[in-house]
Amino acid sequence: MESLIPFTTSGALVDCVDKKVLVVLRDGRKLIGVLRSYDQFANLVLENTFERKHLARYYADQGIGVMIIRGENVVLLGEIDLDAEDEVPLEQVPLEQLDPAYKREAEFRKKRETDKSQVLFEGLGFSKEGGEGDGY
Amino acid sequence: MLPLSLLKAAQGKPMMVELKNGESFNGHLIDCDTFMNITLREVYQTSADSDRFWKLKEVYIRGSTIKYLQVQPALLDSVKEEQQRAREAGRSNAGGQRGGRGMNRGNARGRVRGGPGARGRGRGG
Repeated sequence: MESLIPFTTSGALVDCVDKKVLVVLRDGRKLIGVLRSYDQFANLVLENTFERKHLARYYADQGIGVMIIRGENVVLLGEIDLDAEDEVPLEQVPLEQLDPAYKREAEFRKKRETDKSQVLFEGLGFSKEGGEGDGY
Repeated sequence: MLPLSLLKAAQGKPMMVELKNGESFNGHLIDCDTFMNITLREVYQTSADSDRFWKLKEVYIRGSTIKYLQVQPALLDSVKEEQQRAREAGRSNAGGQRGGRGMNRGNARGRVRGGPGARGRGRGG
């Protein structure tokens, strides 16, 4: 593998293979799983994946399993420090407990984004965002 | 096992595909190509806000619209086993030829391109 992909850009992922990683997607999702494979587009294969949803100082995990992520949608990937990961000052709660509030928050944020882009577009001559409403 | 090889190996297996726009498709993978274009059969489509559903006989999805694909965990295990078997079979057939598979070809090509002792291959070189 090392000899086929140069040590630049996605080739740097070599060191993360078989490690627990955090992947952030363009839609804001945070996925945690074991990186099993990748290619030159940074398409990724994650095993034992779960999505971590954060709200204020709480978080909840939602299991996903094995997924193939199309590289385009990846914002960042980083290895998780197994020793330090339990020391985060956040509290895990059951998914059912977090989910309603999390959905409201997401909806609120989405509405604020569309309102903002509408004002910018109509009043200030900004162009419209790509539709996903993110800054990437 | 590259991501697209895993996808190829998932032919005939159930999977969930989420598009960039949030819509998702549940169905059995029929075929895929190197652009990640795929066809699924017996599909349940879910709208982005997951409040509407459609049942479709067959769908074709352009690879560039995909956000991610979700496959059964068992698939990864069976592919690993398959690879292991292939490696062992290759070893007994090759008769002492070490390394095997893509590695050798890659190295050979690298040498042709870079010439002996050329820099730029591998790390920290």
